[in-house]
Amino acid sequence: MDKKNSSIQNRIQILCIALVWGILALLCWVLPKKDISESERRKLAQFPDISWASILNASYMEDFEEAGVDQFPMREGFRGLRAMTDRYALGKQDVHGIYMEDGYLTEMLYPLNESSVQNGGEKCQNIYDMYLADTETDVYLAVIPDKGYYLSGESGHPALDYEELTAIMQEAFPEAEWIDLADTLTIEDYYATDSHWRQEQLTEPANRILETMGSQSLEGLEQKLALEAFYGVYAGQSALPVKGEPMYYLTNDVLEQCQVYHVENGKTLGIYDEEKLFGRDPYEFFLSGNTAIGIIENPNSTSEKELVVFRDSFGSSMVPLLVQSYSKVTVIDTRYVNPELIGDYVEFENQDVLFLYSTVLLNRSEAMR
Amino acid sequence: MVFASITFLYWFLPVVVLGYFLLPKRWRNGWLLVTSLFFYGWGAPKTLILLAASVAVGYGMAFALEACEGAGKIVWKKILLWLAIIMEVGCLIYFKYANFFLENVNRWTGGALALLKIVLPVGISFYTFQIISYIVDVYRGTEKAQRNIIDFAMYICLFTQLVAGPIVRYSDIAGQLRERDIKASEVKLGIRRVILGLSKKVLLADLLGEFCETVKDFQESTVVALWLSAIAFTLQIYFDFSGYSDMAIGLGRIFGFRFPENFRYPYAATSITDFWRRWHMTLTQWFRDYIYIPLGGNRCKKWKWICNIFIVWMLTGFWHGAEWNFVLWGLYFAVILLVEKLTNSGKVQTQKCPWWKTFLKHGYVILLVVIGFVIFEETDIFMLGQRLGGMFGLGNLAVSSEATWYYARSYGLLFLFGIIGCIPVGKWLIGKIENQSIGKRILVVAEPVAWIVLLLLSTAYLVDGSYHPFLYFRF
Repeated sequence: MDKKNSSIQNRIQILCIALVWGILALLCWVLPKKDISESERRKLAQFPDISWASILNASYMEDFEEAGVDQFPMREGFRGLRAMTDRYALGKQDVHGIYMEDGYLTEMLYPLNESSVQNGGEKCQNIYDMYLADTETDVYLAVIPDKGYYLSGESGHPALDYEELTAIMQEAFPEAEWIDLADTLTIEDYYATDSHWRQEQLTEPANRILETMGSQSLEGLEQKLALEAFYGVYAGQSALPVKGEPMYYLTNDVLEQCQVYHVENGKTLGIYDEEKLFGRDPYEFFLSGNTAIGIIENPNSTSEKELVVFRDSFGSSMVPLLVQSYSKVTVIDTRYVNPELIGDYVEFENQDVLFLYSTVLLNRSEAMR
Repeated sequence: MVFASITFLYWFLPVVVLGYFLLPKRWRNGWLLVTSLFFYGWGAPKTLILLAASVAVGYGMAFALEACEGAGKIVWKKILLWLAIIMEVGCLIYFKYANFFLENVNRWTGGALALLKIVLPVGISFYTFQIISYIVDVYRGTEKAQRNIIDFAMYICLFTQLVAGPIVRYSDIAGQLRERDIKASEVKLGIRRVILGLSKKVLLADLLGEFCETVKDFQESTVVALWLSAIAFTLQIYFDFSGYSDMAIGLGRIFGFRFPENFRYPYAATSITDFWRRWHMTLTQWFRDYIYIPLGGNRCKKWKWICNIFIVWMLTGFWHGAEWNFVLWGLYFAVILLVEKLTNSGKVQTQKCPWWKTFLKHGYVILLVVIGFVIFEETDIFMLGQRLGGMFGLGNLAVSSEATWYYARSYGLLFLFGIIGCIPVGKWLIGKIENQSIGKRILVVAEPVAWIVLLLLSTAYLVDGSYHPFLYFRF
């Protein structure tokens, strides 16, 4: 009797496991394939077409394996399960290098890559030597701390040595007047699930920049809601369960009448690009995201002054706050344009020139040209 | 194709299992052969030709050896045996060691011999050893040559153990090639073993590997980081390799095969001699039966016995890879084993020992094994010297750093799970529960739930992870 019971138990146990295994396998075979992963903001690998050549050089198999992982049923759920296991069952302090502290997801930028920062500083100095040395421009440099700078102290996570980083930058680019932004920001000034800062919180750092450049402080800006639930880049990367947060922006009549000419595609758009709110990265709402060269015309400016900003993605939300004091602002991202071509679009004479970069980029400056 | 991959688990395996149980018994070996060739050819289809050639040599030579039975043909038999061994080992040497020899000739003579453009066929070290053992067993007359080419080819090519062992000798499964009795209890044990192996690989080995990689990326290493990394690698390689062996043995059981065990809690050993009776057992047994004993074993003069030990361990090291560190690794264990044999300290303790003495013995084994795996891991001899020096405070390194403690904290629980997983505490606990009638009843429900959870967790790590091939694939 015991033997019979045991045999039935064995069969039931096999059936239970085989059922879960089999259903997942079946779903792999039959579920429709997806094109993109919205949370990771990337295209998903697709199952390859078969050919003799691709079989013989094994590229078919490689592509199949990649697609098998990317197209796995309930992939988002499984990614979340892994993240939760890492964090709560294994007690890992970070998931894929991203940690959560006080409700903020933050990338662990560590260690300080001194040669990369040095390279970033030298790239700025090269631009100075190429275009600015023999002009009457006033040149400024500001470095935006990453979220880890404000969070790591209490949490014990390793973080970049911001002071060391800024010292390297100032030494590599001595021609620029230094603007310290670190004390104008707190962790609340950043999105909880994204690397970037919140535009509605940037009044103080924007005023610090404007004052240093001898321009008027901000006034008359109204806060408006752009998106109710913004999920930043770290939400998708970490796969941890997080809530979306509202995305606000600051505007007024002056900003609403500004036009941005994007040299790259020849389009002229507003400062805030509502179409991008429903795209891959809603943060691209600000200045339409990362573009090589954008020229902002301010028809209501009371001043003839012009500003040129060399920037990364953090600049997208800061630049609109600097526009009011200038008749024209040229925004340049040297990740997307060779510095030698900048002269074709900008004539440097007596503008204010601001180099505004984040530690995130400077610590991995190979993307800067 | 690797076992710990979505392609294997959810595309390949279900089809193979379904086909196997739906087909009539007489077609099952053929089915396993076809699917095994597909499995092997998935990563590098061209290497199928080499595999087929090796199988053909093994099959043909065994026949020829059997045909040479009888007086007067003993010389021919020996010639055929050596011919077969030279052909099989020749392939292994060419594909695995040719560039190593060329590099060293260039290094010592200052020459510039061009290196060969060859790719190491996966699993060549394993299947070559299986074929050699078969040929030698037929030569010795302990096994009969297999008449059925499909059965023989299936024995060599069976995907469960083809690429990373265990090294299954023909004598282990000769009877099972024809007749296999498949019981539900065996299938259940097989599934359990597969999921256990998968979890060891994905949930422990790969995550410990992440720790090792992170520590390697440190700009400034520390003494503590070097030790933690060495311990992590020691745990990683155990869970990686024993995980693969568990999966191989479990898959075999599902198809009705009983493969030999490859690991028996090696880190619970009390001497290095004991360790090698528990670590990669099928390889050590192979070297014992096909190299050490034919060389004379310990039944010879002392100096020859010492030579035999050094030859066997040098070859064991070299089998693992074409680098000097592997030779050094083998010789390192040869010296320790020799000392243990000469001082009679390698014997497994049968009498009860004071706890502190047992503790010291375990400590001694772990320390030497951890150092051994540093030698194993570091293929650059100069870096190896630096690393070992750094571990013992000779590298002017800081004792620790903020980052070291951060990662020690972050991976602390994983280390703990790893340490618990490599001693027989789980087995002991389950045994205790099974002995209680209520415990037994709980296990009926809890067991499949636990295996399903582990399967889903492993899947989650595969879906969200990067590619982690098994470490032993490169051998």
